[in-house]
Amino acid sequence: MLDVIEALLRRPNFVAFVTLFLWGLYITVVHHNLVKKLIGLYLVQTSVIFFLVTTSVKSGATVPIVDLAAGTAPEVYMNPLPHALTLTAIVVQVATLGVSLALVAAIYRRFGSLDENEILKRLE
Amino acid sequence: MTQHLPALVFLIPFFAAISLPLVAMRDERRAGSIALAALCAMSAAAIASLWTILDQGVVRYDFGGWAAPIGIEWVADEVAAIMAVAASLLALVCVFYAASLPTTAIEGRMIPFYAILLLLISGLAGVIYAGDLFNLFVFLEIVALSAYALVAVPGGRALVSAFRYLIMGALGASFYLLGVAYFYAATGTLNIVDLGQRIPQLLESKAVIVGLLFMFLGLGIKTALMPLHAWLPDAYSDAPDSVSPIIAALLTKVALLAWVRVLFWVVGAGGGSQPAVVFSLVWSLGALAAVGGAVLALSQTGLRRMFAYGGIAHIGLILVGVGQASHTGLAGGLFYLINDAVMQCVLFIWAGVLAHQYGVRTIEDLKNAQVRNPWILGSFLVVTIGMIGLPPTGGFFGKWYIVLAAVESQNYIALAAVVVTTLLTLAYFVRVLEKLYRGARDTGTSSSVAEPVMSLSFRVGIAVPTAAIIGLGLFSDRIVTILLAATSGLGL
Repeated sequence: MLDVIEALLRRPNFVAFVTLFLWGLYITVVHHNLVKKLIGLYLVQTSVIFFLVTTSVKSGATVPIVDLAAGTAPEVYMNPLPHALTLTAIVVQVATLGVSLALVAAIYRRFGSLDENEILKRLE
Repeated sequence: MTQHLPALVFLIPFFAAISLPLVAMRDERRAGSIALAALCAMSAAAIASLWTILDQGVVRYDFGGWAAPIGIEWVADEVAAIMAVAASLLALVCVFYAASLPTTAIEGRMIPFYAILLLLISGLAGVIYAGDLFNLFVFLEIVALSAYALVAVPGGRALVSAFRYLIMGALGASFYLLGVAYFYAATGTLNIVDLGQRIPQLLESKAVIVGLLFMFLGLGIKTALMPLHAWLPDAYSDAPDSVSPIIAALLTKVALLAWVRVLFWVVGAGGGSQPAVVFSLVWSLGALAAVGGAVLALSQTGLRRMFAYGGIAHIGLILVGVGQASHTGLAGGLFYLINDAVMQCVLFIWAGVLAHQYGVRTIEDLKNAQVRNPWILGSFLVVTIGMIGLPPTGGFFGKWYIVLAAVESQNYIALAAVVVTTLLTLAYFVRVLEKLYRGARDTGTSSSVAEPVMSLSFRVGIAVPTAAIIGLGLFSDRIVTILLAATSGLGL
């Protein structure tokens, strides 16, 4: 038990990621309000991006632009790839946000409600 | 020049999608014909690409001239090239068929409609060719985002279906991305070839196991594997008639191809006994999906919902073949994947034509509709034979290789699942056939109802893929030989 706690304490970023991920998943599944569902979805997406960023942190490293004084050893520089991936993933997330909010707006105009049960009742 | 062909297959529909608002600005009715022209060019490029790859070997296309592990690479091997030809030709047929559907739902919005459709098709090409896991994610999302928008086009019910599809699809994408992040944290690379050299040694690592699970969970949602399929029937049956064939034919199949890439090119690349657990998980899930999907298909009343569940069952069948972890199983599974794409395409075009010309949406409606059109009756007979899996259709040969692989590895549970699924498929198709032909014979009461004249694009939309079902059967030997040769380098 103690070593589990110790392992967790040494990885606070991982704990934060798991908390955000499960929290978002819970909101998406449990809430009936469509916008709240989307908030949960964004939490899940953001937690994944957070995970990608925090696992690629390198302490004592600088921006990946070659500095002749610092030399060319790989330890001196950050790895730029995870950040590029993160940027792309954020763009995908933003696109999903746009499409989903457009859909929610269309649903609200059509059914006059954002509650899932209410909408399902009107569909009958 | 020829090494640029795979990039062209993607770029043609992509640039057509982007330039459509400008080119068709004056008259939105031209959007359809521009989309058709772009798809013709895309198909030509895909066929030329397949031709040169069969002739000169695999093309590895480095974007920007940066070589593979550092740069972004597209791999146009035989599998990708055949899939690209199938996808672009099916897309062409589907758009041609959509030309004579009523446009009331998209009146005034034809330019965005066709632009999104082209974007979806270019995304499919990207998934097929992508050489690294992250690009795979991006293209899967391009496809998925376009699909959410297209499903929502009719409004009403479809909006709710599209929203559910979006929630499921976006969660699936997040899971997949999480899996990719774990793989990257464990190996420091995303390139499929590179991962194939590193992951097999790391299969004991917890990070890789968790990453693999999340990746499969995400791709499982995208392929609508049985317990994760809930979004699919609603999305497929509420989508507009013009897009449901293309979505049904290609979306889940392309995600399945991505799954096969991860399974064989990354996890199974090293050979040995380590990945055996993964493969047995895959075929058991496949067997479950095959039987479960077929049972649910039997209980449906709506035509399109029944076909959608049939598609879910066939995804399971492909996984049963692939999960045998043998060359026969993999080649058979991939061949069946192409067949299934064609058959789903015909089924949904068929349902669209029936809905449009006869107002038929459920199986009960068929009895009263008195459909006597030989195109509809004939093509349905061929698809039925194909879906059940009788010669000379491609469905038979695909199933044959899957069964052969199951027998080779003495996996009798998988064999039983294939047989049960076949019998159930027979059952639910006979139900439709019986209603259809009884309606056709029933000449008594309302012979005054004139048979509607079928437009050319409906005939082409039905006839060409129907012919392809038989054509795939006749040329199955050659295609499977190519697929076997393409996968012979994998350490199975």
